Amino acid sequence: MKGQRHAGSSRFTPYFFILPAVVFYAIFFLFSIGFGLWVSFREWDMLTPLDKTRFVGLSNYVYLFTKDDLFLPVLRNTLVFAIGSVLFSTAIALLLAVALQNNPRRGLWRTLYFLPMVTSVVAIANIWRYLYDPNFGLFNGLLSLFHIPGLRWIDSTALAMPSLIAVSVWATIGGALLLFAAGLEGIPTMYYEAARLDGCSGWNEFRHITLPLLRPTLLFVLITGFINGLQSFALTMIMTGGGPVNSTRVLALYMYETAFQNFRMGRASAMAFVLFLIIFLITLLQLRIFRRGGVEAH
Amino acid sequence: MKRMSRILSALIILVGSLTMLIPFVDMTIGALRTRQESISVPLVFWPRSPQWQNFVDVLHSLPMGRLYLNSLITAGGVTLAVLVTSALTGFALAKYRFVGREGFFRFVLGTLMFPQFVFLIPVYYLMKRVPLAGGNDLLGIGGSGLLHSYGALILPFMVNGFGIFLMRQFIMDIPDELIEAARIDGCSELRIFTHIVLPNLKPAMATLAIFIFLGQWNEFIWSMIITTSAQKLMTLPVGIQLLQGQLDPVRTDLLMRAALSYAVWPVIGLFVLLQKYYVKGMVMTGMK
Repeated sequence: MKGQRHAGSSRFTPYFFILPAVVFYAIFFLFSIGFGLWVSFREWDMLTPLDKTRFVGLSNYVYLFTKDDLFLPVLRNTLVFAIGSVLFSTAIALLLAVALQNNPRRGLWRTLYFLPMVTSVVAIANIWRYLYDPNFGLFNGLLSLFHIPGLRWIDSTALAMPSLIAVSVWATIGGALLLFAAGLEGIPTMYYEAARLDGCSGWNEFRHITLPLLRPTLLFVLITGFINGLQSFALTMIMTGGGPVNSTRVLALYMYETAFQNFRMGRASAMAFVLFLIIFLITLLQLRIFRRGGVEAH
Repeated sequence: MKRMSRILSALIILVGSLTMLIPFVDMTIGALRTRQESISVPLVFWPRSPQWQNFVDVLHSLPMGRLYLNSLITAGGVTLAVLVTSALTGFALAKYRFVGREGFFRFVLGTLMFPQFVFLIPVYYLMKRVPLAGGNDLLGIGGSGLLHSYGALILPFMVNGFGIFLMRQFIMDIPDELIEAARIDGCSELRIFTHIVLPNLKPAMATLAIFIFLGQWNEFIWSMIITTSAQKLMTLPVGIQLLQGQLDPVRTDLLMRAALSYAVWPVIGLFVLLQKYYVKGMVMTGMK
């Protein structure tokens, strides 16, 4: 008899249980967001007492979009990185999920693909930095075996971004693969059996059964992957530092530098809220698509 | 046709697996090369005689024990706190009807939408202004607050929206009759939580614990911001990244690989041992 009051239970009991979370969210969520927003309308260096800071209205935001030579290229880099990594990672994960679908050792393979998901990004970034090394790295070493001149993987403006995307794809396939695998297991085998009786196989089976039934998973993987990609930080910070010539500087890195190296809290806050706004819009889009698809949000 | 697709599948799996393994193998095999081997052209992949000395030397050049301890304290503290707060909140959301329940649950899910970057500046400032800590006065002015303490590394992660969601889903599966029976026996609500709900929640707790622990173990940006000026608090990833200047300059890449091997393999071992729990949590994220 859920929901009724009982001896020993007062109507305050549930509030008592959620109290720690409420206090936490009041301080670390509501207050922080309000304060962050307030900071984004001011000029502040973190050291000056707050009452001595200057209110500058929207000019931090205006600055980013009109005067800052870096912000728009950085925004573009961020989108390229996020879209590039999520598209390739999702496509490869889907391919692998289908290839592994009937493999008796699929659990083992999935574990292998999943390893980067539990590996520190510091380790991933450094290992790949060594692999990409123009003189002594494994990749150029392998190329030279075939007498192909080495590439400047992360030292050239043309290749740096694709090279970083490749690392991100490598690191995120496992998560997508796992979700696809769970989605595939939810598809009743009788659909495939029926299709086979009708003489349908291979590509057609994939197109007309697997893909439509996997649609909700696919959408979820794409959207969350994209949102995560937008927030990528350590990979670029460690592998390229945003270079060469800003070709890989992404929003999160730029925001970090603006706040904690140049101490322009107002501008950095404004950047953070621009990032939030982008993520917010994408999430709304996701919810809308899910509702239309008749899939429960939770 | 059938055979073609099976060969194709096998090929995809083979190429994929090699690609996944090579970076990990290069990390550890690479740490065993000599200085000459690591800069030789053409490339030497397998060291002629493994230089285990690199694994010993890195322990002298980086405070690996300290870094490990800090990571354990931080990740352990966060995990413990998240388990408690998630179970309590999830219990209230799953088994009580109260004014504001739906709204609060939606709010919790909504918090997951906010990027960490929105919170960096405000929470940094909050930590700095904690009253009576780190030389601060009652108003939180004058000192560094909690900035140079484990508090700054742990407090901002003590409640986790995903954890609350996960616990709510699991607690909803506990039969109401079980709770009702305990109530009739005169159990207090808190006792119901500790004696009925928690024991039934062990697998869920394991899932959440490993999920949060691994996530926090690998957390980078916040720990870096906090510990750049407080070296004693550096966690493993931050320490390895920021202290690599302390390594023998002619062998930096070798010693880095050794340090990273120390950081990565135990976590992978933990994951492989407990992966059934981890995977459950991972798949739950896809269901929300």
